[in-house]
Amino acid sequence: MTIDGRNHIELLKATRIEVAETLEEAWQILASDPTVVTVAGNTAAQLDWQKTGWPETVLDLSRLGGKARGVARRPDGSLWIGALTTLTEIRDDPVVGSLFPALAATVSRIGSPAVRASGTIGGNICRMSGCAVPTLLALDAILTIWDDSGFAEQPLLQWLASRSTECHRAILVGLALPPPPTHVAAEKIGLRQGFAPSVVGIAAALRSGSDRQIGAARLCVGAGVKPARLTSTENWLTGRRFDDVAWHELRDRLVGEIVAEDDEHRSGRYKRLAAANALLCALGIKADQPRSRHRYAIPSFRAPVFPQNLVSRSASPSWPVRPDIECKVSGSLQYLTDYRRDDMLVGRVLRAGVPHAKILDLDVSKAERLPGVRAVVTARDVPGLNAYGVLVQDQPALCFDRVRYEGDPVAAVAAVDAATAARALALIEIEYELLPVVDDVRSAMLPDSPQVHEGGNVLDDDRYVRGDVESAWASCAHIVEDTYTTPRQMHAFMETEGGFARPTADGGLEIFVGAQANTRDRMQLARILALPEEKIRVVSSPTGGAFGGKDELTIQPPLALLALKAGLPVRLHLNREESTIAGWKRTPLTIRIRSGCDHEGRLLAQEVDLLCETGAYSSWSIAVSHAAMAQGCGPYNVPNVSLRGRTVYTNNGIAGAFRGFGVNQTVFAVEAQIDRLAEKVGLDRIAMRRLNLRKPGDPGVFGHTMSGSERLEDVLEHAAASDIWHKSRGPDPAGRVLTGVGVALVCQPVGLGSRVPDDGGGRLSLLADGRIEAAFSFDEFGQGVTALIQASVADALGCARADVAPVVGDTDAAPDSGATIASRSTTIVGQVARQLAPRMRAKILEQAGLMLNRAPTGLRIGHGGIYDSADSSVLSFAKLAAWLSPDRLPSETGTVSFPKNDSRHRNTLFMHSYAAAIARISVDRMTGIVRVLEIDQHSAAGPVMDPPGYLGQFEGGNVQAMGFTLLEDTLIKAGTFLSRNLDNYLIPTCPDAPAQMRTYAVQALDPEDRHGPRGIGELSIGAVAAAINSGVAEATGTWFTNLPLEPETILDSLEATAVS
Amino acid sequence: MKPITFRLNGDQVTFVGDAQTPLIDVIREQLELTAAKVGCGIGRCGTCLVLVDGLPTNACMLGLYRLHGRSVITPEGLSDVREGRAVRAALVAEVSFQCGYCAPGFTIAATALLLKTPTPDEEEIREALAGNLCRCSGYLAIVRAVQKASSLLEPAPDGDQRLEFHNCGPKQQTNATESARKSHP
Repeated sequence: MTIDGRNHIELLKATRIEVAETLEEAWQILASDPTVVTVAGNTAAQLDWQKTGWPETVLDLSRLGGKARGVARRPDGSLWIGALTTLTEIRDDPVVGSLFPALAATVSRIGSPAVRASGTIGGNICRMSGCAVPTLLALDAILTIWDDSGFAEQPLLQWLASRSTECHRAILVGLALPPPPTHVAAEKIGLRQGFAPSVVGIAAALRSGSDRQIGAARLCVGAGVKPARLTSTENWLTGRRFDDVAWHELRDRLVGEIVAEDDEHRSGRYKRLAAANALLCALGIKADQPRSRHRYAIPSFRAPVFPQNLVSRSASPSWPVRPDIECKVSGSLQYLTDYRRDDMLVGRVLRAGVPHAKILDLDVSKAERLPGVRAVVTARDVPGLNAYGVLVQDQPALCFDRVRYEGDPVAAVAAVDAATAARALALIEIEYELLPVVDDVRSAMLPDSPQVHEGGNVLDDDRYVRGDVESAWASCAHIVEDTYTTPRQMHAFMETEGGFARPTADGGLEIFVGAQANTRDRMQLARILALPEEKIRVVSSPTGGAFGGKDELTIQPPLALLALKAGLPVRLHLNREESTIAGWKRTPLTIRIRSGCDHEGRLLAQEVDLLCETGAYSSWSIAVSHAAMAQGCGPYNVPNVSLRGRTVYTNNGIAGAFRGFGVNQTVFAVEAQIDRLAEKVGLDRIAMRRLNLRKPGDPGVFGHTMSGSERLEDVLEHAAASDIWHKSRGPDPAGRVLTGVGVALVCQPVGLGSRVPDDGGGRLSLLADGRIEAAFSFDEFGQGVTALIQASVADALGCARADVAPVVGDTDAAPDSGATIASRSTTIVGQVARQLAPRMRAKILEQAGLMLNRAPTGLRIGHGGIYDSADSSVLSFAKLAAWLSPDRLPSETGTVSFPKNDSRHRNTLFMHSYAAAIARISVDRMTGIVRVLEIDQHSAAGPVMDPPGYLGQFEGGNVQAMGFTLLEDTLIKAGTFLSRNLDNYLIPTCPDAPAQMRTYAVQALDPEDRHGPRGIGELSIGAVAAAINSGVAEATGTWFTNLPLEPETILDSLEATAVS
Repeated sequence: MKPITFRLNGDQVTFVGDAQTPLIDVIREQLELTAAKVGCGIGRCGTCLVLVDGLPTNACMLGLYRLHGRSVITPEGLSDVREGRAVRAALVAEVSFQCGYCAPGFTIAATALLLKTPTPDEEEIREALAGNLCRCSGYLAIVRAVQKASSLLEPAPDGDQRLEFHNCGPKQQTNATESARKSHP
């Protein structure tokens, strides 16, 4: 088969690629052309080239053989490593492993398996910043270099120094390591555990001396800082006795000698401190043991009323596999971004590129004239309302007068291929008048702040007061007040926003884009396009992850406009950088809380003032603010309450819906306050909660009614009885790691609330092939609604799961179920199934009776078909369906209302689910880095309908919450995104995940509870950050208030407490 | 424009075009092999993983010039690899994925691990999967599946098919690429 890439794939700039198989060939090519750039594995260089463009000529050295590749022991006892040896080959080499285990270990922490499989040791050295460099320096590596004068040897240290001052054309052939030192140790301090960008790397080696006396030392840094040997400290150290070296003195010398710059993630100061600490550890010089400040209480527990069970494959009576798992694993499932057709154009969106500006002129004529361009759209092409928004329609489909954040869409093009579309974007001319940037939520509220929208930057200011907080403070024995902040977490769904659209013959549109609310999207698109809703079909599943990040229009407006204008199908798929800049994030919250209790620990007053930064547009943030306010007292009874929530515009991207929706952010702050009061009172954390916990039937924080089946006490007592409390806590024997346990509670609302329409419909139909179709307009973005539909319908009807064919994510194929948000679909699906099942059963049995010529009484539905009273199968669904004419195939449609209370004065939530999370964490005293060792969740959300789905939601929620707590924040400076892709926006990897996660479920509902199982998508994330933070506080003795937890802040607090 | 010849899921293919064209564009845009995805485009998420001579490789960063004379297996091609079938079966049984967008990449990473280490321990599994991001699962369901995958391996056939990769492995590459071209201008 021949693939002709010439017409189909056009790169913007073609590069000549030379391949050398021998050193001589390589040198000839390199010497003959001064523009040639050499590469080997090309795992790093082309990342630079993505920004600068590929060089004119690239010389691929990766096929060099002979001396330049492989590991060999030389007669003089040294070890030769060819420069083209891959990192994987070095890691797996038995000689390296036995002689230089520190090098093997260093190499195994470079990049990912794919990086190590292609990346070479030579490439790592030539990048100077490579992670292997400090270790190689400590091992006195000598490089062999080929240039004009043939082979030459040069110590790595000298080569690094010369390379930074002169540009020398040469080929690195390999390196020699002299016989190993008596002691070598190396460490990489990374931004996370797996596939970690390096913050700083260190290595220490001792070449001679005894156990007690220090011989020639090598102290090296690099990988994040300029590679160097710390010769001054080395000299100071040489000849001293280990016992005489004062930890602090050596540390201060190291900190003074290391040179390190700030970067967007870590300060130079942190790098110096952490590197110095790690070097001391590498030398085996121990810091003083921290004094134990804690009692490490093991809480008492009371027997819970309702039992819990472990949700796991081995503990579950059944482990049904979800209907879409096989095609997902094999890769045969086509996502909406995977569709290709010959006549399909490629769309691209032009983003503002500046955070705040007036559009003076927009000229697309050059782009329109470019051959291959089929449509260019701007605000002038919007036939209807050029505005959308779930709550406030303040966001333009395409900007017309102003741009308000870097990712604002200004124009879009559709062209015959991606390269033409990219060229066309570059031809669009915009003239801006730059406006002052509003980049801070507090200054945005000042009266003289520039305005992001007319009408001021405070979009919403909501207050709720009950009792008398001011006079209550006087009667409080203990008061804690602090301000907590939460990060701009990115959803980081693996499938970025995308899909395709095609015009229909009747002037309408079909649009296929992964999303979470197809019927609402259709309504908003109809308004923008000035089309009746009936002419628009929205298909929104399958979707490669959403988490709230697709719960509003994403690329649909420009995509729809392009398809209609071009009159052809158009596909559009954001690349990760565009997705990062354009998409909304978790609303960052600044939460000031003052909490007071009496001598015994009874909460008397709670004052919460929170700021929600919504960024450039309102999206969902007002509702996030209100949901956060509703969590202002957590699940505790407080007699005097004052709550205030303000939603504020800035030019820092957009914020909106994200799994948890203001709840997990606020729980983090409120739970910390409870723990801190408990400390003051002298109660353990469980006892403090038990004392203040709301009781079933108590009114909610706004005085509203809440549903039955409350299980807060149960999940709390199950957590109190956990074996985690008995595991080791405190400093480890080596004195480097501190371990702590934290616990937190969440009472997670489900549904949209009392004042919001919250109905959902569904349909059951017997298909001609005998399957029972269950149609809901809900979306399948991974959360498992298809498995839930199978489970719920099978449960209600009595058939097998395999008999049920779920249909989702299509406005034309299913009744309106409402949006797939707010953990609401479990309830809707369950109630629709229970509502329709009796009617559907009656119809099926009636038809079966007709077919079998017998009375339907005594017949029942079972797995695969109809059974008689003796439990014998009498008729399969397939046979019944084949016998029926199409118009007699039973079908039932119904709608249910999500259970609500009757509060009208404000939107309040009736139904909830409950969880207590326990996290055991460790803190590295030398680096301030926190690791989560294990997380248990004790949950209560009614019957577990689909055990793998339930477990998956909790395990995934834990790790996503862990990222929120420890790693993730979208960095924006003066309105410009610093975080632009997954290389500097870091989500947890597999090695970051806790060693153990257990999920327990209290399944019983109250006998009179008819509401059925509750959704758990958000429950799973609600209490985790608070639990981790509580564990860190136990381990360190300090309360941290800003997420993600900064290693530098933790390090400083440990330093401060060690000194005091 | 010298043609570049390599094996793709067992078939010999020849590519004519710019040698720096990343493999992911060829398989997704021209051959409609869409199991491998583009999640980041910079080799940081693993959704585009393929096997090159049995080793995991990011297809978004894999210029075709590197493939001349080599053997590529995309996630679709794992049905012909014993380790790949075991990995898939284990991931299905464990219900390891939710949205599934990352799943094909994980099947490649796990297959690469089993090709090299048939009975890996948990730490080896976690490190082998470190280049693949999953935002839904929390990873442990994937780790559990890979732990079980070894036990699902079919007996090795005569003339173990892994040789297909090992013969082409980097160290022996010289023979396999004797006809390899020195220049793909």
